[in-house]
Amino acid sequence: MSDFDNRDKGGGRGGSRDKDDKKGGGRRTFFRRRRVCKFCVEKIDYISYKDVKLIASFVPERGKIQPRRISGVCATHQRALQRAIKRARQIALVPYVSE
Amino acid sequence: MSAVRQYELIYIVPPETTEEALAELQTQVEAITQRFSATIEKTENWGRRKLAYEIGPHRDGIYVLHVINGPAALVTELDRRLRVFDLVIRHIVVRVDLDLAIAERARTRRKASMSARRVRRGLPPEPTEQERIRRSEDDDDMDGPEMGFRGGDR
Repeated sequence: MSDFDNRDKGGGRGGSRDKDDKKGGGRRTFFRRRRVCKFCVEKIDYISYKDVKLIASFVPERGKIQPRRISGVCATHQRALQRAIKRARQIALVPYVSE
Repeated sequence: MSAVRQYELIYIVPPETTEEALAELQTQVEAITQRFSATIEKTENWGRRKLAYEIGPHRDGIYVLHVINGPAALVTELDRRLRVFDLVIRHIVVRVDLDLAIAERARTRRKASMSARRVRRGLPPEPTEQERIRRSEDDDDMDGPEMGFRGGDR
């Protein structure tokens, strides 16, 4: 006990700091749905630029491509999705910008 | 001798285009493909669609899709010709055979690994009808109403 206290007071050495951070992180984490890549889950192998319904769900109102950190898409599929969106934009299936 | 590849050609014409004008355009496209001894595998008319953004004065357009098997030289020619046609307000040619082949390979690989796993567990390689029904029933992807949104920290 005292040992632990001493270490804590001892000017925040690497070890104890890490511990504290972890604890704080533990408290802060709340239930969050684990994000999974839609294309991996649904086993979509080819993301077609013609499939407006699918693609449009990754293009929010503003017209920007939704980042991976929001949508949870894996890197491989985000790349394929990006290509599809850019093609779809060329033939006016998906907007470049809106408003 | 150039290799035959698969391309998708989509073009947009104004919604007020007459049937004859569209047919005329399609025969022109066919004529070009024939010149390169290419074949049109499929033709799809998507009909009138709203454009995602305005192209010149147009807000709507008729989309036509051709799936063409032909050499690469055909694409440059098609692209050049379509740019000249006043009727066509937008067009795109995309090579699809490579991507489709990759997708096909991924599908077969996944199937093979799945049946291999099943065989290791002593099951028949293909899921039975019953299993398939069960799988769709136990939906545990945590998006149902029972999960609720527990906002805030706790």
